[in-house]
Amino acid sequence: MNALRLSLASFGNETRKGLLVAWSEKLQILLELPFFAVFLLMLGPLLGEGRLVAAGQVHWSLNSARTSDLVLWFVPFTFFYMQVVKLFWRLLGEIQSGTLEQVYLSPLPSWLIVAGGRVAAALAEAMLVAAALYGIISAFVPLHYHWSPAALLPAVLLVLTVIGFSLIIAGMTIRWKRIQMFNETAMIAVMIFSVSAIPLLHVPGWMADAGRYFPATNAIASLYGVMLGHRGVTAPWGPGGLIWILITAAAYLAAGIIAFRIFERAAKVRGSLAAY
Amino acid sequence: MTLPAPPAAGGSAVTARIAGNEAGKQGRLLMSRRGLVAFGVVAGGANFVLFRLLIGGGHISTEMVALTLPGLVLGWAFAATMAVQGAGDIAEEVLGGTLEQSQLSPARPSVLLAGRLAGLTGQGLAGAVVLGLVFGVGFGVHYTIGPGVLVPLLLTIADALGYALLMTALVLRVASIGAIVHVFNMAIMFFGGMVVPVYAFPHGVEMFARVLPTTLGVEALSTTLAGRGLGGAWTDGTLPWLIVHVVALGSLAWVTYLNTLRRARREGGMSPR
Repeated sequence: MNALRLSLASFGNETRKGLLVAWSEKLQILLELPFFAVFLLMLGPLLGEGRLVAAGQVHWSLNSARTSDLVLWFVPFTFFYMQVVKLFWRLLGEIQSGTLEQVYLSPLPSWLIVAGGRVAAALAEAMLVAAALYGIISAFVPLHYHWSPAALLPAVLLVLTVIGFSLIIAGMTIRWKRIQMFNETAMIAVMIFSVSAIPLLHVPGWMADAGRYFPATNAIASLYGVMLGHRGVTAPWGPGGLIWILITAAAYLAAGIIAFRIFERAAKVRGSLAAY
Repeated sequence: MTLPAPPAAGGSAVTARIAGNEAGKQGRLLMSRRGLVAFGVVAGGANFVLFRLLIGGGHISTEMVALTLPGLVLGWAFAATMAVQGAGDIAEEVLGGTLEQSQLSPARPSVLLAGRLAGLTGQGLAGAVVLGLVFGVGFGVHYTIGPGVLVPLLLTIADALGYALLMTALVLRVASIGAIVHVFNMAIMFFGGMVVPVYAFPHGVEMFARVLPTTLGVEALSTTLAGRGLGGAWTDGTLPWLIVHVVALGSLAWVTYLNTLRRARREGGMSPR
């Protein structure tokens, strides 16, 4: 009982710390938010219009269907960014200040502390950014979604997948420290291969096949199915199939925990958990 | 005890050596973080591929690569990288205490700065050239390349240096400079000709885009690369406005740098607060 209480207190403290760090980054989010909104509004008329762009004949009218597609594709990446990219910066800060070693005084497994403490903050930040984006963009063009509780299933599985991916990045961070550009590259690669989930775009077959193995593609395809296509989320196979999302979530979570343990062990052996 | 004043710079040989040391320091920093720089180049290329896929409907056309490659090379790979590296290096020097040490140098701030910018330019150019070659050769892009191309190219490099210097200067004054650089770089990426050619934007957005660093340079360069020569870039107004932009941004950056440096010396802003 006492161990459970200690564990919960420890997890709660990490979550609180994550939220405090998130609050301290509010200026950056406030600076970036309007730009994200402008970016999505302007990218809507350009989506899939390469020929018109080259000819300088883009119709700059806001199209509800296209913008809805884009926003639904982009929002999961706000969580991805908050969980993966910001976890990296936070860990680097903890390594520099020497507080990362304190994690090992906790009764909870280190991977749970590292990832778990960030999840609540990342979810809060992502929901705030998503809500603000939705508000700003829908002031210019109506966004049409089929709001269904079924969308929570791919959303939750996406969160688990991203947590797994973030643990791989976290492990690499404590092992190699300055991996920010690898981090950015990894995120863009995940975005590129998720493009196959956007209904308006037709990527080459090999790319669509490869996209299924990347963290966000299956969940985004499922979200498209339920929120734009009015379909269910329980179809087992195909783009966004439930089996694929479950396999992706389980595989990335397991890979993340294993990778974190391996990199953590290497960092402990080298004594580099607190050295910069 | 009174500290002896540092000796005055003894002529052009000493000045050149000091500037060379600064440039060499940047070169050594580049080598020490070559993995990071390489991933930066890969990230730039991946960003480009992502936008080409989104706008090309899932496919990448040679025409769109040709139209937007100058924006990638000069805007994102060169200007944005230099701003991040310049600001990051100064921030690291402040934290490490070495920025204060550099003030003991007998050379004027302009000499130290020239060396620093020369090193940064080399670093930025390395990534820009790699990306230009990979996409240019990889997609079989054909440009009309003549001596006239050098004019907008060099002016754009000067414009990018002005931008990087401004961001570097603001590190000493603005706490949230990381976020500001990020937002400016995103604006350069989106409006600077890398996502779509600037002429594709609505008129008002086109005007806004031209205020941003490197946009006018990318436009003037694209005109000359398309075979319309310097005359074409002059007639459509991009080249004269580029010259004005380079002078204005360079002057603003230089004045800001000197002011923030003076203020940091006076208020102790050169070491961690």
